[in-house]
Amino acid sequence: MACKQWNRLDADKTANQGSYENPRDLTSNLYNRIRFVEKADGGGMKWLFLNERCVHCGDAGCMKVCPSPGALYRTKEGFVAFDKEKCIACKYCVSACPFNVPRYGADEKVAKCNLCADRIDAGMMPACAKACPTQTLQYGPRGAMIARAKASKRAIYGEADLSGLGVLYLLDDKPEVYGLPDGPSIPASIFLWKDVVKPLGILGFWGSIAAVLFHYVTTGPKRLEEDAPEKGGIRHE
Amino acid sequence: MSKYVERFNTPERVLHWFVTVTFFTQLLSGLGLYSRLFVGYQDFFGGGQGAILVHKIAGILFLASSLLLFLNHRREISAMDDDDRRWLSKMGGYLSREPFQENNGKFNAGQKLFGIFMGMATLVLGVTGIVIWIPLSFPRVVVQLSLLVHGLIFVLFIMVVIVHIYLATIGNPGTLDGMLWGRVTRLWARKHHGKWFREITGQEKAG
Ligand code: HEM
Ligand code: SF4
Ligand code: SF4
Repeated sequence: MACKQWNRLDADKTANQGSYENPRDLTSNLYNRIRFVEKADGGGMKWLFLNERCVHCGDAGCMKVCPSPGALYRTKEGFVAFDKEKCIACKYCVSACPFNVPRYGADEKVAKCNLCADRIDAGMMPACAKACPTQTLQYGPRGAMIARAKASKRAIYGEADLSGLGVLYLLDDKPEVYGLPDGPSIPASIFLWKDVVKPLGILGFWGSIAAVLFHYVTTGPKRLEEDAPEKGGIRHE
Repeated sequence: MSKYVERFNTPERVLHWFVTVTFFTQLLSGLGLYSRLFVGYQDFFGGGQGAILVHKIAGILFLASSLLLFLNHRREISAMDDDDRRWLSKMGGYLSREPFQENNGKFNAGQKLFGIFMGMATLVLGVTGIVIWIPLSFPRVVVQLSLLVHGLIFVLFIMVVIVHIYLATIGNPGTLDGMLWGRVTRLWARKHHGKWFREITGQEKAG
């Protein structure tokens, strides 16, 4: 709720869906939520919780595909923030995010957690970390956070994935149980699109131009038989 | 007797140039989305959102007109005969200066392949384009693949079109006339499309 207040997001209507988990998905007005995972554990039931949100990838799929400079940008602290003014509503980032985070609202513009870039600029903590009563969410320099996480001896998620996530998770079970990809990566077709087809395309364009020019000055065009004698001669139309 | 024979009538020429204009509109409006190197081109359309809007409208026009062009010619380009196979094995005679006696119908084998590529590529760009248009209505993998395929066909399309333009202009003098004002010289017709020339005139020699 602190997040909604700070980022001036309206409430979405939610419905009771027979689970304690509510709301059930991120929306353009909901930048982070708690995912509830129920897991059978011996005779009983175990509850796992995950704060689902943009994890600010070091190598971010969303930034790789965004065609509009400045719509998604890296803050000097290393987080991935966005600027609705510059977003051109192509929705490429939706397809490129390994965590399926970016959402669109009625304005057709990108919306996701930006780690309260404006608060951080002003020297404050992100609203979620500030508000969290049990200090489950903590904010600090990445190195210090990793050291503290290591000290707790639990599984760290995101230390090296995608060149290091800006949000680290401490998990009590395997990532998949939480619905997190184990070893997240930018989707293969997105990689092929931006890192293979794009550079090859530029090569292909210039290659084709070069090939036809080369053909023209070597083999040359298919002239009509009369062309040569006609030159300088009398032309009759 | 006239020095010329008719090659493309007015509706055919209008359709061809309509496809060309929409194609280049798609090219220019898509470039800025293809790579940030080309964002500058979006200024023609009043920025990124303008470019996307133009790309969608011209995309529909391109899809419709290019498919129509393909369907109009589908019979002429769908079958290869022995002369076509000879043309293909000689690469149309384009690889050497040795004179190559070709004997083509209205379209040679290369043009037939180009026509088939145009039809297929248009269809694929259209289908993937619609998926990219409304990405939230499709599974994520489908959208991801569509982005890849749309980009890939775009690249192939440009390469093929560069060759097409070359062969239709300076590569084969006299060819462009047929598409600009509809007529080609008898000499041109007999040399490039002998079988077709004999069909339409019923004679052997260029008058
Ligand atoms: C056949 C009809 C076509 C349709 C319906 C179509 C539709 C689309 C759509 C909806 C997009 C995404 C625009 C957005 O950001 O919302 C797109 C992207 C793009 N289109 Fe098309 N398009 C078509 C043909 C073409 C053609 C003929 C070309 C090139 C000559 C082209 C080149 C591109 C490029 C370069 C992109 C940027 C994405 C990428 O790099 O893959 N498109 N198209
Ligand atoms: S989690 Fe998704 S939206 Fe966030 S930085 Fe990574 S790719 Fe971008
Ligand atoms: S929808 Fe906006 S933020 Fe996302 S890739 Fe497109 S321009 Fe960038």
